[in-house]
Amino acid sequence: MTFLEAVRQKFFAFLIVLGAAMVVSSVAFRFLDFGHGELKFIADFGFGGMFLFGSILAVVMTAQLFFAEMDNRTALTLLAKPLSRAEFLIGKFLGVWMILGLFVIILSALLGLVLWGRAQELSLLAEQSGRVAPDFSIRGLGIFAVLQWLRLSVVAAIVLAIAAAARTFLFAVILGALTVVAGQLQWIAQDVLLKPTESVLYKSILWLTSRMLPNLQQFNIGDALVLDSGTVAAASVGWVILSGLLYTSAYLLLGALVFRRREI
Amino acid sequence: MTSAISVRHVTKDFKMGLRGLKLRAVDDLSLEIPRGQVFGLLGPNGCGKSTTLKIVLGLVSGTSGEITILGFPSATAEARRRTGFLPEAPYFHKFLSGRELVRYCAQLSGVSAIKMDSAVEAALELAAMTEAASRPIGTYSKGMLQRIGLAQAIVHDPELVILDEPTAGVDPVGAAAIGRMIRTMRDQGKTVVLCSHLLGQVEQVCDRVAIMDRGRLVLEGRVDEVLAQRDRHLLTIEGLTPEARLAAESALAAHGARVLSVTHPRRSLEELFRELVTGSRDA
Repeated sequence: MTFLEAVRQKFFAFLIVLGAAMVVSSVAFRFLDFGHGELKFIADFGFGGMFLFGSILAVVMTAQLFFAEMDNRTALTLLAKPLSRAEFLIGKFLGVWMILGLFVIILSALLGLVLWGRAQELSLLAEQSGRVAPDFSIRGLGIFAVLQWLRLSVVAAIVLAIAAAARTFLFAVILGALTVVAGQLQWIAQDVLLKPTESVLYKSILWLTSRMLPNLQQFNIGDALVLDSGTVAAASVGWVILSGLLYTSAYLLLGALVFRRREI
Repeated sequence: MTSAISVRHVTKDFKMGLRGLKLRAVDDLSLEIPRGQVFGLLGPNGCGKSTTLKIVLGLVSGTSGEITILGFPSATAEARRRTGFLPEAPYFHKFLSGRELVRYCAQLSGVSAIKMDSAVEAALELAAMTEAASRPIGTYSKGMLQRIGLAQAIVHDPELVILDEPTAGVDPVGAAAIGRMIRTMRDQGKTVVLCSHLLGQVEQVCDRVAIMDRGRLVLEGRVDEVLAQRDRHLLTIEGLTPEARLAAESALAAHGARVLSVTHPRRSLEELFRELVTGSRDA
């Protein structure tokens, strides 16, 4: 039901169009490649679009779908059924998870097409000039898409936990967006922790923060997966997936605990 | 036999602001709602009716006290499995058809796949929504929304049905139709709890009523008992001439009785309206 509701929204279509436009337009902007390979520029542009619009979708759509149930009071009807609060919240998450999956699949497929088309052109040019043709890994792109889906799922779970406690849509969106930014910068806290410092309190706060917030940067290994296939160990990918699943589960559990006490 | 709903010493305080000020919405409420009857819960706005219903349904937790539904603690899934609820001014996903909504609610309520089709159709029929069931909910009138809300509330054949303002915003013909549905549910042996401001309708369909004010229960009993004025009588007379009236008054005075008023009986505006517009079932 949540998926059907979400997929009908113009906001979803708007972000898909924006993301797709960004991926396709990367070909037109490839002269700005700053000395890197063309395929890398196109891939980075696509990764950026997926990250930016995917994050907006995960934060806004999750909060919007949750508060639509509260504000329209459909939650009253649903929670008066033999449905637990945790089941309600997980149902919301699964709906958002599916819409995020659809978003990632569409943009990844489009990025794959753009990369393939340009790789074909570059191969012809390379043959004529006797150089090595640039290439990319479709399998790597597939793994990257899975990681992005997982990253957006972590964000959605965090926003859902925030929304379960928040009174307003705006508060949930702002705090959710700030959490995404903090998650992108979480590695800084980990770096600081490695440095010797005299303050135990400072270190403790940093340690707690770095454990509570997922390191969203760890999902950004698109370059290595798509363009330098074989440079990322399967164990590293497995660890990132496990970490993503753990954070998703932990935030869903937290959201369910908070939502249990919420007065509808 | 246990009551349909048993409310024992329930109090609900809402915290207000950061200083922890409390607003008491329900104050030591105790109430027994017997099975198989239509029970009206009345009171002015802000008297604690809706909060009481929400506590009964487990949507809000009480500060103190205990509530059971058909013998089960009210917050349990078992209690909710036996309960159907129509919220005030219900809102449903507009892109669904009426039938899809009722089917979705049946799935959430645990109706088995084997019984699904017959349960959905029976609920739609009782709510007189079979004809419009394939239309998107976005095209429904207020009356139809209330009736499809009623269908989703009863699709899993609950023993207890709670209706919060089921006739709010509905025209008298639609309200009368909902009244008939409530009586049908009672005839099927269900307990119906009705929260309404339409006192005329409550009087017509309810067996018992409770009146709340400022979070407290101020009256509870059978409708005919609480409304009867046992020290007064009403005679409806045909062909009363002025002479006959004087003679009757003299005879009554001889027995120590006094005629307080003589008026013509009149039907209610609701009855007149329903007579005049019987053709349309719903706007």
